[in-house]
Amino acid sequence: MLKGTIQITESDDSRVVELLKENGLNLTVSEARRVTELLGRDPTIVELTIFNTMWSEHCSYKSSRKLLGELLPTKAPNVVMGPGEDAGVFRFAETDDGDWHCLVIAHESHNHPSQVLPVEGAATGIGGIVRDVYCMGADVIGVLDPLRFGDPQGPNARHVISIARGVVDGIAQYGNPLGVPNLGGDIAFDAGFDENCLVNVVALGTVMESRVLRSRVPAEAAKEPYKIILIGKPTDDSGFGGAAFASEDLVEGEEANRGAVQVPDPFLKRVLAVANRKVLDLADQRGIKVGFKDLGAGGIACVTSELAHAGGFGVKIDLDAVNVAAGAHYPPPVVSCSETQERYALAVPVDFVDDVLKIYNEDFELPHLYHGAGAYVIADVTRDEIYTIISGGEKVCETPVETITTGILYDRPKSPRKVLFEEPEWQEGRSLRDDFLAIFGSPNIASKNYVFKHYDSEVQGRAVIRPGEADAGVIAPVAGNPVGIAVAVDGNPWYGIIDPYQGGALAVCESARNVAAVGGVPSAITDCLNYGNPEIEEVFWEFYEGIRGVGEACSGIGLLSHEGSHPLPVVSGNVSFYNQGKSGKAIPPSPIICTVGVVEDYSKSRSMTFKEEGNEIFLIGEPLDELGGSEYYRTIYGTLGGNVPEADFVRERGQIRTVLDLHSHGWIRSCHDTGQGGMLTALAEMSLGGNGTGRLGLAVDLDEFDGTGLPPEKVLFSETGCFIVELSPGIERELLAICARNRVKLHKLGTLKASPKLEVVSKGKAIASWDLGELEDIYMTGCRSIFGIEKGE
Amino acid sequence: MARSFTGKVAIIQFPGVNCEYETADAVRSVGLEADLLRWNEDPVLLEDAIGMIIPGGFSYQDRIRAGVVSAKDHIMDKLSELAGAGRPILGICNGAQVLVESGFIPGIHWERVDLALAPNVMEDRDGYYCSWTYLLRGGTDCVWTMAVGAEEVVPVPIAHAEGRFTTDDGEVLGEMKKNGQIILQYCTQAGQIDPAFPINPNGSIENMAGVCNREGNVLAMMPHPERATWLRQVPEDLGGGWGTKRKKAGGDSGKMETAGPGRIFFESLKRWKEGDA
Repeated sequence: MLKGTIQITESDDSRVVELLKENGLNLTVSEARRVTELLGRDPTIVELTIFNTMWSEHCSYKSSRKLLGELLPTKAPNVVMGPGEDAGVFRFAETDDGDWHCLVIAHESHNHPSQVLPVEGAATGIGGIVRDVYCMGADVIGVLDPLRFGDPQGPNARHVISIARGVVDGIAQYGNPLGVPNLGGDIAFDAGFDENCLVNVVALGTVMESRVLRSRVPAEAAKEPYKIILIGKPTDDSGFGGAAFASEDLVEGEEANRGAVQVPDPFLKRVLAVANRKVLDLADQRGIKVGFKDLGAGGIACVTSELAHAGGFGVKIDLDAVNVAAGAHYPPPVVSCSETQERYALAVPVDFVDDVLKIYNEDFELPHLYHGAGAYVIADVTRDEIYTIISGGEKVCETPVETITTGILYDRPKSPRKVLFEEPEWQEGRSLRDDFLAIFGSPNIASKNYVFKHYDSEVQGRAVIRPGEADAGVIAPVAGNPVGIAVAVDGNPWYGIIDPYQGGALAVCESARNVAAVGGVPSAITDCLNYGNPEIEEVFWEFYEGIRGVGEACSGIGLLSHEGSHPLPVVSGNVSFYNQGKSGKAIPPSPIICTVGVVEDYSKSRSMTFKEEGNEIFLIGEPLDELGGSEYYRTIYGTLGGNVPEADFVRERGQIRTVLDLHSHGWIRSCHDTGQGGMLTALAEMSLGGNGTGRLGLAVDLDEFDGTGLPPEKVLFSETGCFIVELSPGIERELLAICARNRVKLHKLGTLKASPKLEVVSKGKAIASWDLGELEDIYMTGCRSIFGIEKGE
Repeated sequence: MARSFTGKVAIIQFPGVNCEYETADAVRSVGLEADLLRWNEDPVLLEDAIGMIIPGGFSYQDRIRAGVVSAKDHIMDKLSELAGAGRPILGICNGAQVLVESGFIPGIHWERVDLALAPNVMEDRDGYYCSWTYLLRGGTDCVWTMAVGAEEVVPVPIAHAEGRFTTDDGEVLGEMKKNGQIILQYCTQAGQIDPAFPINPNGSIENMAGVCNREGNVLAMMPHPERATWLRQVPEDLGGGWGTKRKKAGGDSGKMETAGPGRIFFESLKRWKEGDA
């Protein structure tokens, strides 16, 4: 019998419940019995702890895996690696010698930790996601953070605001020292997130295709002996049970879970990133094959078993060789499964071990920079496909490695949510002027510039378009090459509340639109799917509907670089369930999509700010009577309404193509999509620009929209996805031809004027007007009361 | 082959710096060679370098106080010796904090800490602040600004939480002024020195953005010139001449790859080197 065996077979169900509880495990009784079956004997505590992590929702995708496989397209000609590895990889620019520059992208949630400890939770969110990109052999070139907070003006305002500030601090405290620029993100506020904020994180990196690393022991290990080296921070008990914590409801006494939040250290991560690069370059020079993977959920147990299993090998781990925090003695389950941050595992041939250890321990002095840090050989790769852990000279785990990585799958039942969403009773005679001032200064619409300036968006020197300057961030990732990468995140919680299918579909459409606005051809997406408890049938239905929407949008828009003959591929993502607070109310269904666009020539990517007097402003597309979930209904009518925008993929594709055509001619002076807040909000944002200093005015001609039969408010605040473009005069004919070819509607809105005023004109008469100065005031300060310090504080 | 810095600019890589690679690229953009020197390598290697740059970042995790641990690193002994011999040294952001903490700047009393880079003081915000600023050359005799015109406004971004130059020693301040050591000041896009936020983005006394030693070979500057070395790095919406130039380059990737405003500091070093040769 192995040391630490737990009697499951002989115990009745109630005793098993006790045993699981005593050992702090979240496995169900039937899962514990399934472990016993798989092993063919009673498990040890170490083994049970490993399964507890590996079978958590966070690691196993046990509720979602089946649907994800069925509903999401993941293959396309540009994809090098789809979901399954730590990050997705796709090609974006070919080199002269036939290699490819690849973009590496990962997207995750860190919701529960951020709700409990906002600063550390958000920081380790960034810390974890960049590791996923680094371990593909890539350099990390940017991060983005889609955030969802509660209502900053509601009954929980104090708590909501303290979380929001903490999260922003955490992102800054990690990303800034690491030296990775912030490329954007978005923030939405809704009471549905009062008890469970969402902190999603996206990291992007670049690597040559020939140097993409796999998270597996290389095949060479069949011929020469390989070792596994553990690199980084000394293992401690921080984050023990983190994956399991992410896979259950947040309950009363959040503090109890604080130990499950990891401790961030961006300083150590930066040094590791530089040292890793040296090691990987040296391996490449010498033609040595290595396997590389970061330690995340499940710690050492997870990383070693996956490295070994993916390569078809076994592994024998000596837990006593693991460098633990100074003076500490942790029991074997903690050392095996703790989620201590800033660690990597590297599989290398025996005769490369000394070089690797020297780089980390001597050249970069890890043990001196951080007490107990360093690189240590902790395991032998074996050819027998057996997974063994030895502690104190005794075996505490011994099983075919396949057993450990065997998944678990649930087929969850779903049933449609039956809530009727109705349109509000229309109010005649409202003041358009006042209504727009209320909308433009509301927390969801007002500028997030104040927040963006907490983040370093300049480091690495690649920024072309910074957060808030346009619909998507743009960087020039390859020195001396005009190719650009455009990236945007989106997900509108209110559409999802009314119709979870549209919530998913429109998140893809909107983020694709955003990258197209700066000239990016949508080339891949990632999805972070944030929902409530999947064991509740209505919640699981929301999830199903959401990914159905995401999948259909990907196929509907398609990969435009290949004439749309392939779907826009989902290359990476994450599922986050159990997002609900102690009241038991699930968050609004929140599929959050990141779209990456490849820009042929970044010099054509323009800021959304109006550029020049006399230029002409057009709307590509047409507002429809679909204001359900709109900022207008919510802010002015205090209701969601019912007519949620309906995704129309043919229209989206046509509009995106139109804008990309205009970009390729270099005709676009500025461009912005009409999303939240509708066309009027978008025009005001273009007048002011990202930093609020723009002063070109416009009189919007409403007569253009007589044919729609809609009242002015619906034309101006409808959130039907369209583009606004600024073009130099004299190209209207070409524009008409492009629109006709792509079968999209076109409306001329007006001509830019030097007078700093935004006006709405109907039948030759101004029905409302705003000075840009007053708009700047409310727009730039709308979020300051949430994130800013009080004067004199 | 033995490592050599002959004819090169050495970028000092303390643990935790994070701008070393782009700083090296910025040096190379003017046709000079650059290479990194890790903090624990042999400082004697520096004897052959043209000059040294301490790049931005969070060296030693900003432990105790930004720059203070690096200032005590043994490699600074060699830098002190070379500074005394007139070798050019530039500290950018965290590098500036190191130079202030090691007493090279203002250096009126060599290696005595007479100046501080204190937490930013800003209107209605605190902590880290990332934004573009405008700089005006104050004095005349600094290696690193010799190519900057007298009335020239140079936009360069900042990104820091502790960049407020300050001292309560009136005598030191008086000396600094007299010696023309306040070499870079934050100004409006039209070149006016105005203490108001965000023109002065961190509350520095005298709008100090960069301070050099009396001899002019050592400069500590908070803004990041390496992030403004190419035109493409300039934000399109930036006010002033450089913003206009950037807007006009829209659609022309060739122009985008031409010099940005911050390259002038590296050009200055090159000019100094050529004059020296």
